[in-house]
Amino acid sequence: MHNSMSFILFISFLYSMNQEPTYLVLNHFDQEIPEVEKSLIESFNNSKFEFNESIKNIFHNLDNYDNPASSHMDIIKELGTEHKVNFILLNKIEHNEDRFILDGLLFNTRSGGLIHRRKIDLKQYLDGQINELVMWVGNTLGIQQKDWQENRESILFSDPEEIEYDKTPMGAAIRSLIVPGWGQAYSNKKISSKVWFGVEASLSLAFILSYLNYDTSVTNFLKNSNLYNATDDEKLVSKYRSDAERDWINHIIYSKLAIALASATGTGWVSNSIHAWVFGPRPYTNIYQEWGSSPKLEEG
Amino acid sequence: MISTMKLFKKLVFISLTVFLFLNAQIKLDVNTIPNRVNVLLDGVNLGLSPIINERIKPGLHRFEIKKKGFAPLSYDLLVNPAQAVKLDFFLNPIYEVKFKTEEKGLVFEINGEHRWDVPLVRLELEAGDHSLRVFKIGEIIDEQIITVDEPKRFNYFLKKPLTSE
Repeated sequence: MHNSMSFILFISFLYSMNQEPTYLVLNHFDQEIPEVEKSLIESFNNSKFEFNESIKNIFHNLDNYDNPASSHMDIIKELGTEHKVNFILLNKIEHNEDRFILDGLLFNTRSGGLIHRRKIDLKQYLDGQINELVMWVGNTLGIQQKDWQENRESILFSDPEEIEYDKTPMGAAIRSLIVPGWGQAYSNKKISSKVWFGVEASLSLAFILSYLNYDTSVTNFLKNSNLYNATDDEKLVSKYRSDAERDWINHIIYSKLAIALASATGTGWVSNSIHAWVFGPRPYTNIYQEWGSSPKLEEG
Repeated sequence: MISTMKLFKKLVFISLTVFLFLNAQIKLDVNTIPNRVNVLLDGVNLGLSPIINERIKPGLHRFEIKKKGFAPLSYDLLVNPAQAVKLDFFLNPIYEVKFKTEEKGLVFEINGEHRWDVPLVRLELEAGDHSLRVFKIGEIIDEQIITVDEPKRFNYFLKKPLTSE
């Protein structure tokens, strides 16, 4: 007995699984939207849709009723019996400038009541009305596809935190920190790029030369000092002494020069990076006066 | 006796129906773009979106949606008895915009509200189209719509088009 009951329940379950929900679709649009019917049929091939354009005034002013969910129960049931459908889907779309309002109502023909309602006020986008209708019907069926959602999101302005730019001021600063002028070149500022590179290259070269001269002066000073200490010849003593004194003075001059040039190079390097950041690539739009001239916009 | 019982049953049925109708709660789903936004229903915080399987009574309700960096949204909705109500809210971001001009003696006005006469100004504007009007010596000399679609700088020029570096 128990087994036979389970079997009957199982068969009933399988039968109900194979039942395709059937819809009577009433589209009330204030403007013609082409290929709506085709899109619904193609998007939900497991459901059956019957479209009826003639039923127009039954659900007029639905919100004026105290209880809209049960306001048209008899008519819904009658329509369900007449068209042999499980549900009645009423889609109302009104356009208002660049926006449209979709008011979707789903009635169950067995109870005659309103079981689901969705209202959406959205800026128009490419095939937006069809996409929103498909999303609404998909919602009633528990089906949502990613591309419908992505299509809708394509019209929305980006979250400021999620906007990604190809070129950024920080990118320019880092580049200039690696090679002076690179950040400016990256920001398409060719002249300042060349100037920074030239200045930094000159300062670096001057620093290297000063350092090399300093090093040579130190080496020569030590050499002449040793020679001075090692000789007793008066002439040579005098020569080594004057050479060592000259090397000493040179070593001090080049030392100071190298320190100054190193400071200038370092400061310039950092300044060049800061300059790259300050004047780095940022989005802009040039607006030109429209009145009295042809309109023109330039973006970057 | 039988008629009394019938009457009693009828009364119980009517009371039950009225009770259920008055206390009927409707399933509410609230989806927002972007996600994780505070949703307030009649001043009560429902938590962060998406809100799924919340309950709402029929009647007039006010939704308030708030997120930093986006224009706050409030929406009055008359909830009718139905099994479920699903709402989608799309928040419009607010972008930081700089408005710069090297022209002298101009007064700018945006959306008929904010005015300035300095060469550089920072504004926080909702994404979308805005009406810009330009005045010189008290006279309007230009009027146009500017589109704010990302945080950016606007450079305003009088007639002569210039190229930027």
